[in-house]
Amino acid sequence: MISYKHQLSRFFVRMGLAIFTCVALGPVIWAVVTSLLPLTALTSRPPDLNPLNMTLENYGLVLDSSRGLFSGLINSFIIATFTSAVGLVIGSMAAYALARLNMPGSSLILMMILATQMFPGIVIAIPLFLVMSRMGIVDTHFALILVYLSFTLPIVIWILKAFFESVPMELERAAAVDGAQPLQTFQHIVLPISLPPLFATGVFVFIEAWNEFFFAIILTRINVKTAPIAIAEFSGQYQTLYGQMLASAVLASIPVVFLAIIFRRFILEGFVEGAIKA
Amino acid sequence: MATLELIDITKKFGAVTAVDGFHLKVEDGEFVTLLGPSGCGKSTILNMIAGLEDVTAGAIQINGKTVNALGPFERDVAMVFQNYALYPHMTVEENIGFSLRLRKRPKSEVQEKVQRVAEMLELEKLMQRLPRELSGGQQQRVAIGRAVIREPSIFLFDEPFSNLDAALRIKTRGEIKELHQRLGVTSVFVTHDQEEALSLSDRIAVLQAGRLEQYGSPEEVYLRPATKYVARFIGTPQMDFFSGEFIDKEGLRYKVGEAEIPVPTLTRLPEAAFDAGVRAEFVSLGQKGFDATVRLVQPVGPFTYVTVDWQGGSVTARVNGVSHLKPKEHIKVDIDPQGLLFFDRATSMRIDIL
Repeated sequence: MISYKHQLSRFFVRMGLAIFTCVALGPVIWAVVTSLLPLTALTSRPPDLNPLNMTLENYGLVLDSSRGLFSGLINSFIIATFTSAVGLVIGSMAAYALARLNMPGSSLILMMILATQMFPGIVIAIPLFLVMSRMGIVDTHFALILVYLSFTLPIVIWILKAFFESVPMELERAAAVDGAQPLQTFQHIVLPISLPPLFATGVFVFIEAWNEFFFAIILTRINVKTAPIAIAEFSGQYQTLYGQMLASAVLASIPVVFLAIIFRRFILEGFVEGAIKA
Repeated sequence: MATLELIDITKKFGAVTAVDGFHLKVEDGEFVTLLGPSGCGKSTILNMIAGLEDVTAGAIQINGKTVNALGPFERDVAMVFQNYALYPHMTVEENIGFSLRLRKRPKSEVQEKVQRVAEMLELEKLMQRLPRELSGGQQQRVAIGRAVIREPSIFLFDEPFSNLDAALRIKTRGEIKELHQRLGVTSVFVTHDQEEALSLSDRIAVLQAGRLEQYGSPEEVYLRPATKYVARFIGTPQMDFFSGEFIDKEGLRYKVGEAEIPVPTLTRLPEAAFDAGVRAEFVSLGQKGFDATVRLVQPVGPFTYVTVDWQGGSVTARVNGVSHLKPKEHIKVDIDPQGLLFFDRATSMRIDIL
């Protein structure tokens, strides 16, 4: 028997969630709608939202190779993929060492890793630009990968360290007693059960690198413009091509949405559960 | 098949000495239990036998060969962990067969052995399940299966029952004992549960603070505990102790308060001071003996434990069946002199007959 009070509270919770969903989805829906309308429909007053006028024209225009979006998506993909791959390899090794080896000063190392997160990007932007231009790596993929690694790695290390600590030591001990060498233990036991958090962390880094705008605009000129920069360029000095801009934004969001869906499934799997009886 | 000898092994964690000059010999096919409260070093000793923990000093010998430098696998031991440590991403079948697959045994051989172990432990119907889909008792059996399939020369058990409920614990205890009788593999079992130790073991090593207090058969540690610590640790309810003195009055007697208990086993008056201890089965209640007042009545099924106030202290008697005594009731208590054990008040060591 569900009490009246319980029903009421459930009603309010659902109301709250519904409002939150609308607030969160509103801009997305607006972006999709706008991307499907011609510029004239948007600039007329009041805007002409007649669904009969909807067209894929904006998508055709932005995907034209001369517009920079296509190469921006490719650049973003290269940078985000490398950042997450390198971040995971380095980050997981560092996290595993910090979680499992009894090193003197490991808590100091962790605090220092965290401390690097405390500087606002703007503080280091100019020195970073100077250093990179002297090194001659401004406007290269490498520069952005390096920068993105520097602020995603600490998070990767902290997340994965927490995960590795939650993996019961006995699993590795059991594998050792079963005759597994350290590398085999890693390959057959630690790696398989770490896949979900590794993947989740990798997706997180990918999205961070994919969306980043501030350092991308400082450290790129022509060659490695990323998708966010390409999208921003639809806003010119004299006019803003809203339809094309939002069509680009929708296109750039697709990989992120896709990853977020997979990400969610992986998180829900809860692989470690049942490993031990606590 | 193997003998195991721990020769004065010591383990230090920084400044803390977890195990202090521990010596133990386990004969071939013997079932030995390391018994002690948590933190007494018993799991550390087990980990050292398994090769999961280094030895600070001393030697571990299996079949007369020192194995200190060998890895866990080369020692040919199998271990069942307290929390089972099943590989969460592998099915029951894969968990059991993991060690064989690591050694690249032919598929047919792995399959056949896994099948045999599964039949023995009644796991056939669960082969495709993941550990998280199993009950605690089933997980336990998989953990045992993973150890059994290796056909190791020594089994190590680290408190394998501590996560099971009471009924399952007793059932699994029987299964482990049967398994040992069937396979006859040398086994070392760690527990803090004295009842488990008494019911399973050929010999029990009682530990305190990283040192060996007594090593003997269940009968020995129960009936002839070497120290007061062992006497207190083994047996339910706990042994009762009195602080009295020996007197010589129509033969030797032990005087507790106003009560005097004849001690026929004693031939001359000892010089040191001794405490006396007695187990509940040597205490009787009835018409003869010393005046006492009932304090607590605890029925446990076949017996009732009745605690009475007596001579400024208390003593518990085991009464067969149901007792109709009520708290505050007056009664007489009698102590069988045969059941009295004497412990040196200074050293806590038990004396036999003087």
